[in-house]
Amino acid sequence: MSRFERKILFAIGLTVFLTLGGSIFFAQGALREVYQVGVNEQFGQELVHGVEARRDQLIALRAGSEHVADAVGSAVEAAVIDKASPRALEALLGELLARYPGVRSIRVVEGDRVYATAIREPDPNAEVMRATLRKREITTRAKNLRIEVEVVVPEVHFQRLQEAGAVADVYSRLQRESASVSDVYVWVFGVLVFFVIVVAFLIGAIASRRVTRRVTVLAEATRRVGAGDLTVTLPTGSTDEVTELTQAFNDMVRDLRDSRTRIEYLQRISAWQDFARRLAHEIKNPLTPIQLAAQELDETYSGEDDGYREKLEHARAIIEEEVATLRRLVGEFSAFAKLPRADLSPADLCELIQSIQDSVPAILEDISEDGPAPVEVRVSCATKPMHVRMDPMMLRRGVDNILRNAIQAVYAAKPTGGGHVLLRAYSIEKTAFIEVRDNGPGIPQGDWERIFDPYYTTKAEGTGLGLAIVKKVVLEHGGEVDLDRAPEGGARFRIELPLMDSS
Amino acid sequence: MKYWLAALVWLMAESASAQSGLPLRDVRVVWSRGAPKVSFSAKDLADERVRKELQSALRKRLVVTVAAHVGGSARTIVRRQFGCDVTHDLWEDGYLVRIGNRTERLPTLEKALDRCLVVKGLFVGEPNRYESYKGEEIFFSVEAEFNPISEKQCRELIRPSGNSDAVGPITVSIVRRRICKAERKVLFRGKNVKVPQ
Repeated sequence: MSRFERKILFAIGLTVFLTLGGSIFFAQGALREVYQVGVNEQFGQELVHGVEARRDQLIALRAGSEHVADAVGSAVEAAVIDKASPRALEALLGELLARYPGVRSIRVVEGDRVYATAIREPDPNAEVMRATLRKREITTRAKNLRIEVEVVVPEVHFQRLQEAGAVADVYSRLQRESASVSDVYVWVFGVLVFFVIVVAFLIGAIASRRVTRRVTVLAEATRRVGAGDLTVTLPTGSTDEVTELTQAFNDMVRDLRDSRTRIEYLQRISAWQDFARRLAHEIKNPLTPIQLAAQELDETYSGEDDGYREKLEHARAIIEEEVATLRRLVGEFSAFAKLPRADLSPADLCELIQSIQDSVPAILEDISEDGPAPVEVRVSCATKPMHVRMDPMMLRRGVDNILRNAIQAVYAAKPTGGGHVLLRAYSIEKTAFIEVRDNGPGIPQGDWERIFDPYYTTKAEGTGLGLAIVKKVVLEHGGEVDLDRAPEGGARFRIELPLMDSS
Repeated sequence: MKYWLAALVWLMAESASAQSGLPLRDVRVVWSRGAPKVSFSAKDLADERVRKELQSALRKRLVVTVAAHVGGSARTIVRRQFGCDVTHDLWEDGYLVRIGNRTERLPTLEKALDRCLVVKGLFVGEPNRYESYKGEEIFFSVEAEFNPISEKQCRELIRPSGNSDAVGPITVSIVRRRICKAERKVLFRGKNVKVPQ
């Protein structure tokens, strides 16, 4: 784990911990208060009072039922003492049932024999009742009777007492455990917050790791670039600031790579220019004495041997021809060696293309010994001006070299006509392009890499300097030149030049 | 992994020591056809406060749990539990005692307590549960509780608010454990006895 990553994780952890840990600290008091609001002594007392009231109600109901049973017993006892007939007694029992709704049945029993009885008709819709039997013994002179009065009370009173008791019980427990239960809430809250802290920290760690890893990769790539490795390219995917930084890094490395390639090429060209200058100097100096010596040998021979004279003249002709060839080569080497640096100034590229177009007939004449070469040369340029910083003379020389090569190649392949060469200039965004393409035989792909190297040529008569000059000129213009296959089948040279901001 | 194992061993040892460390009391054991019948009294559960509560006319619960353990270990061989609902009847004098589905009326609190907390000849497990412990020492532990709220009633009385969050039910579950536990508890164990061959 890098120091940067550790610092970010520490910052995330500190932020999350302070925020959520602080919330636990402040929330515990609030949670306890909330609990105290819901479970307080007054509510508990009221519940206990409610239970006591229900209990008192039941005690009162019991007392009431006992009074009713006593009243019924007294009335029946009085009737028995008055020697009421069983029929009259049953009528009295019926009246008593009607008078006291809390009485379900009344029986007057003598031993095992029922002396008189009255039972209330069962009501199927009546609520569930709890019954109890209140008994009373009566002894008269003739009989030993027992009065049984069955009194009832709704069962629901008992149920409600138990229900109220259960609620009051739980409530009193909640009160008793008030501290520990509110602690439970605080603990649960704490555990949840801890869980959130862990999740937040993990998410933060994962998210930060994505950033820090990319920064680490960027740092490593920077070290590699610092060590001279300009082949580094970092992947870009998302759209954040780190991606922008990575993109800028890639652009910087690419620019460095291009600059280095350009500088290396120009250094190489410079070395070759130096070599060409020395070669030209070394070859040029002995050419005149050689030619003069050959001429002198031929002219001063005074002998009669015609065969020998003929050999001398033949040798002189060969020497003069080869010396002329060497002079031409020396001239080209010398010109290459003296090739100046481009002196750049703003100019319209289309004007340059126009001036080249004007020289096309001369080139066609120059290439063919039998009048103008039968090659169709088309020249086009954008309608609006394309301003680039250029040295018109040097750039023209470069484009002229390419155009001349193309015409020569097409003419060589199609000497009787049918050859086409296209020279055009156009721009895309901030780049101007000069394109020369033909329908000639093209250049084998294996030669594309080395075609711009000095002294590398595929032509029998070539010096291999033309395209090297082109590349030097283009590089000094801050541009690029490349070669590929033209849509027509021949070669396509394309020069890229940076447009000025006003274009 | 080794930490988890260590924690498990520690928990088991703690549990074993908790069972073995109970106060020793008279728990008589008679073996009948390979099964133990235990007798003991947990009547001291009913202290003054418990008795007062039992006279309140509200239904109160007495729960007795008897468990057989392997001697010197926490391992439970078998567990038997029974509960008594005691209600002082205000309508008619006496106490209603319900054990299982059977309800009986007892005239005094003492008799109700005897019925619920004085255990005579209670079978603890079937004979086959003791087959593999023949000749080994075992002991019986007794836990008598006053008024633990039953799980069902506790669920009815302490309910989550019904919100869809997952935290509410967890919190309520923890609170239930605290609130619905017994108001008073008596724990003891008997001497080691040998399972007859």
